[in-house]
Amino acid sequence: MRSTRPVFLNLTQIRMPVGALTSIGHRITGMLLAAGVPVGVFLLDRSLQDEQGFADVAVLLGHGAVKVAMVLVIWALAHHLLAGVRHLLSDFDVGSPLRLARRSAWFVNLGGALVATFAAGAML
Amino acid sequence: MRPRLTGLAAWWVQRASAVCMLLFIIFALAAFALYPRHSYLEWRSWAGSPGVALAILAFFAALLLHMWVGLRDVLLDYAKPAGLRRLLLGGVAGALFGIAVWVVLILARLQT
Amino acid sequence: MKLSISRYNPEHDEQPYLQHYEIDLVASDHMLLDVLLRLKQQDNTLSFRRSCREGVCGSDAMNINGRNGLACITRTSALREPVVIRPLPGFPIIRDLFVDMTQFFKQYESITPYLVNDDSPPEKERLQTPAERDKLNGAYECILCACCSSQCPSYWWNPDKFVGPAGLIQAYRFIFDSRDRATAQRLDDLGGDPYRLFRCRTIMNCAEVCPKGLEPVRAIEAIRLKIAQVPVHPGGLDMHPPKSPT
Repeated sequence: MRSTRPVFLNLTQIRMPVGALTSIGHRITGMLLAAGVPVGVFLLDRSLQDEQGFADVAVLLGHGAVKVAMVLVIWALAHHLLAGVRHLLSDFDVGSPLRLARRSAWFVNLGGALVATFAAGAML
Repeated sequence: MRPRLTGLAAWWVQRASAVCMLLFIIFALAAFALYPRHSYLEWRSWAGSPGVALAILAFFAALLLHMWVGLRDVLLDYAKPAGLRRLLLGGVAGALFGIAVWVVLILARLQT
Repeated sequence: MKLSISRYNPEHDEQPYLQHYEIDLVASDHMLLDVLLRLKQQDNTLSFRRSCREGVCGSDAMNINGRNGLACITRTSALREPVVIRPLPGFPIIRDLFVDMTQFFKQYESITPYLVNDDSPPEKERLQTPAERDKLNGAYECILCACCSSQCPSYWWNPDKFVGPAGLIQAYRFIFDSRDRATAQRLDDLGGDPYRLFRCRTIMNCAEVCPKGLEPVRAIEAIRLKIAQVPVHPGGLDMHPPKSPT
């Protein structure tokens, strides 16, 4: 009987407070960055191989589409890093009471977006 | 669950590796801002200098450990059947090990 | 007031569905429970748990406009309409707003929710200084309403393996009780595997929805620090007293 009972778990209908957004962002950006690591190592490899490799990488990084991807990666890194520092601090009970935690969550969410905007401005 | 990477050990590794990487990122950003390396030779000689090569190696060690704990967390949360979970964890571990070997080869090549 | 309430009768419904109600508010409809009880006069098949009607028994926990809370201390004036009421997320639905709390209570039992002390009993009480007693503030007030655990994504994904914020704040209540002698076993039990405590990602939904104003996430932090033997708040946290229901 238990296993056939329905469960309410429609995420679009459940309120997500600001901290929950920070947290799911932390996880999503983590996975994005993880996917980017092999690409990064490849670029490292090519750019250190020889003159031609270095030039190839420089050309690649100049492409519009690649620049957009770079902005995404920079946003991911900024959000993941800021959210991570917030987690690190709350682990040691710094800023973990609810009011403070909400404020730091806003700071992280906006901070990441701000960094991404600057990156976009500088690169695109 | 295998007792090797207990919850506590994983938690410490994730925090310690994060702090290591944070320091490296600050160092790298400062280094690139102050001395942008525009040519292949400048870039190669900087990356190949013993101090920097070691720092890059340490960074990747921290990164791969951090990725392992993070991805493992995701799999522990969402991959319910134990067999599937073990398979995916094995796959992730293999991929990370592969990347480690790759980075070591890249850095070793710089020393020749 | 317009309301949309989740209905489900296992005898003839395949899936839960929202039923729309409309009711004229009267002066005494201060809290959502008041409205629900009068709605039940209109439609007596509408089922939900309730008892004390003053925020101490935890029976009428439900998901109100996306956020868990106790109907009896949720002010009607603060609700955006139509008020959407659903059962607690992640818990099997028995009927309408009744959910199966078995798994939730199993997790609670698993943390040994009673004082363990085999020292020979004293003449009167086991003594405790006021300072030691204060360490339990912010944890003992938990009424096991399940608002927190049912709003916790980590608990949604693994309700059978992750103890959840309610169970963990109760574990805190015993770990930091100076009269308890089983601290080492409690810490071993929670820290020994990657699921029981360590699924907590400090998402903090628990603290956001606790109707008693408690912060399970901070209790979990304190236990984690104790397991890790990090000397930050070794005697427990100073959790500020819970906010009053009004």
